[in-house]
Amino acid sequence: MSRQGFIASTTVGFARALSRALMSEEIAREHGLLQALDPRVRLLGLFALILAVTLAHRLTVVLALFLVALLIAVLSKVSIETLAKRVLLVALVFTGIIALPAVFVTPGDPIATLPGGVQVSRQGLAAAVLLIARVVTAVTFATLSMLCTEWTHVLKALNSFRLPRELTAMLAMTHRYVFLLVEIAGQMLESRQSRTVGRLSGAEQRRMAARTAGVLLSKSVALSNDVYLAMQSRGFQGEFYILRDFRMKPLDYAGLFAFLCASIVAIWMGR
Amino acid sequence: MPTLFQLKDVGFEYEGIPALDGLSLDMAEGESIAVLGANGSGKSTLLRILDALCFSSRGSVFFRGQSLTQELFRQDGYAISFRRQVALVFQNPDAQLFNPTVFDEVAFGPLQLRRPREQVLAKVAATLELLKIAHLRDRPPYRLSGGEKKRVALASVIVLEPEVLLLDEPTAALDPRSQSQIIDLIQEWKGAAKTVITATNQLEIVEDIASRVVVLEEGRVAASGGPAEILSNQELLLRANLVHAHRHSHGTYVHSHPHMHSHSKHKH
Amino acid sequence: MHIPDGYLSPSTCVTLYGGAVAGWYAALKRVKRALLNRAVPLISVFAAFAFVVMMFNLPLPGSTTGHAVGVTIAAIVLGPSGAILALSIALAIQALFFGDGGITTLGANCFNMAIVGSLVGYGTYRLIAAGAKIESNRRIAAAAIAGYLAINASALVAGIELGIQPLLFHDSAGVPLYAPYPLHIALPAMMIGHLTFAGMAEAVISAGLVAYLQAADPGLLLYTSGVVTNRAESPALAPVAGTSARRLRLEVALLMLLTPLGILAAGKAWSEWSPVEFAVAGSQAQVAAAATMPAAATPAGMQRLASLWTAPFPAYAPAFVKSAAFGYLLSAMFGVGILLSLSLLAQQYMERRRAARFSR
Repeated sequence: MSRQGFIASTTVGFARALSRALMSEEIAREHGLLQALDPRVRLLGLFALILAVTLAHRLTVVLALFLVALLIAVLSKVSIETLAKRVLLVALVFTGIIALPAVFVTPGDPIATLPGGVQVSRQGLAAAVLLIARVVTAVTFATLSMLCTEWTHVLKALNSFRLPRELTAMLAMTHRYVFLLVEIAGQMLESRQSRTVGRLSGAEQRRMAARTAGVLLSKSVALSNDVYLAMQSRGFQGEFYILRDFRMKPLDYAGLFAFLCASIVAIWMGR
Repeated sequence: MPTLFQLKDVGFEYEGIPALDGLSLDMAEGESIAVLGANGSGKSTLLRILDALCFSSRGSVFFRGQSLTQELFRQDGYAISFRRQVALVFQNPDAQLFNPTVFDEVAFGPLQLRRPREQVLAKVAATLELLKIAHLRDRPPYRLSGGEKKRVALASVIVLEPEVLLLDEPTAALDPRSQSQIIDLIQEWKGAAKTVITATNQLEIVEDIASRVVVLEEGRVAASGGPAEILSNQELLLRANLVHAHRHSHGTYVHSHPHMHSHSKHKH
Repeated sequence: MHIPDGYLSPSTCVTLYGGAVAGWYAALKRVKRALLNRAVPLISVFAAFAFVVMMFNLPLPGSTTGHAVGVTIAAIVLGPSGAILALSIALAIQALFFGDGGITTLGANCFNMAIVGSLVGYGTYRLIAAGAKIESNRRIAAAAIAGYLAINASALVAGIELGIQPLLFHDSAGVPLYAPYPLHIALPAMMIGHLTFAGMAEAVISAGLVAYLQAADPGLLLYTSGVVTNRAESPALAPVAGTSARRLRLEVALLMLLTPLGILAAGKAWSEWSPVEFAVAGSQAQVAAAATMPAAATPAGMQRLASLWTAPFPAYAPAFVKSAAFGYLLSAMFGVGILLSLSLLAQQYMERRRAARFSR
């Protein structure tokens, strides 16, 4: 990674973040199962299923929930390929790497002995598989919820869950300015890149990183001052007001009921 | 026309550096004024003083006979009515667009003024139509072009139906078509007898947007008069750093003369 | 250091969410009192800044790269309460919008990185930089050390949370249900990565930013410099006389001291669901003992501390309380709590000395 240099690898990260954001906006506008539900039902329901995944003691239940997740994905017009790229590649591989040593290290009934005297225990294998299944399923549900819900709806849902208004206002404003700051930082790095001849040493790259971050920091604080003035200019005096326009339809109640039933059944079966 | 703003010997420092230094100015209702000045001359600060976002450390500022002080704005009553009457469009649209979507942005003002829900929805819809940005309703600000951002910024203040519009470099860094759209809007407001005060250093748009020109130099008023009078005063413009003498050569003959060109390419 | 869903049991998640919510509540109150209506725009934009800094792929000595968290510079510029909020918001956006880090574990991640990180970073910085001029090199060193310690404290707490999972949460056959590595594996595994790369990355960024601010924007260093100024003089961030972070640190220190008890209680409550709890207790001690065989040797110091804790427990307490692993857990958690308390006391002592010096 360091062969690419600080600038190149960081700007790649920026581009990836931006493209992720845009992709989720597209999927959120499709006409699928999840998209048809009230955002609050969507978030609560998927959270209930994540809870069931986390509470389950049995692998079979976790796998069943994974199949439920895939079904929901297909019905919500999320291609398995997209899901695979976002979830499987990261969660599966990462968790697999982390879980692998557990197969050998966890004490219990040995089921195999590898050359060198290393023992594979049944408990270790079970633990590794359970962890991987749990993480992948939970991440699938979380990714689905994210891909199918517009960010502004997430905020409105959080508001109706009675999160303090200042916190939702902060979440909203942070999200909005992340993209601006990524753009500014990206431009700074690009202009540095074009003015740099040859490769920089590690120390020089670190200095550049610190200076870029420093300029970004100063700009950020200055920006926040201007934002504050702009808010005041339009009458802000400390209160945040929102327009409530979520209304539950029969479909939403049905969906919520279905989610909760599935979750309760899974929790019961998995205990 | 009755006096709208009265500034008497106003002084303002920012981190120890004087931004305004003994500025005195009167503005009447319904006037359209262009405030010219190089960067650092105090244009933005003046607009912020007029919008009661900063308060002078010296001198006095009157709006419709009311002295604008920090204590006055700590109380709810006057602040709300003032904020509705006077609107400021910032130079940096990213500072002004802090809401998740265009709709939320335009709705912010009316909601802060505690307008009822139906009225807010109606006004926002009407304003989006007026500025031809209804199709951008659900767009987040980071997916807007420069011209679109400026129009949303304008919409976010027009929705309050203010009587006084303060514009800080409204056409800076815009493409020609967006520029002319903004100028058209300003001319409409002039016609509707609103008070429009535009800070700019783009000399070429001044005649279109103002009937009076005020030149700022080092935090105070250097001159005030009609556009033709001010724009033909080369010496004044040179001194105020609004034009510069440009040396160029014709073969072996070198001469210099003052000329003006747009500084809109510079980002500040 | 972001812990994904599935690694921590629900009871652990709930306990840590509880700790996080308490921290958020306290921080929000303080921030609103100090910054009034400026709180939302300032914290938000700073959270966005922290988010971007987390994306920097920093080159580190030894031809490696690492990522900083930004919690230390947030604590230096905004103070601990502002940093707690800003970093929590950045982490929430990462989890909710970008899918990095779990949702059930968001509370844990905020607790580890935003809360513990802010407090340790702030406390260390204030301690080492006490009395130094804004432009002095001591502040740069203080920032570096503060960053290093903050990240490692966060990693320590995360390692503890992961390491106690197999002990507290396994099925009747002994299969760990969540993170499968016991403390003596999880802790070293976590700490090695942070004692080296991540800690260095944070130190580099924190020190680099303080150096930059000293030259370009020293006003931003005033808030936590211990120098009380007139609000009008530093318009960006004006420290308000009297808002000390001391009470906040006291509250969180208490929380840290109580958290292991919470996890213990919750763990006991959950294991009571299965009727074989006490039957398992005996085998649990065996498991813990057996687990000390392969892999890393247990740090000798921790072993000594552990015996301190297991000794005073009366004979009739459930067997699992006596196991060595629990000793590690308790000593580690109490250790962090004690560190915080010590830093509070140290700061009080330094301030009293300084006040005495000025009164002469």
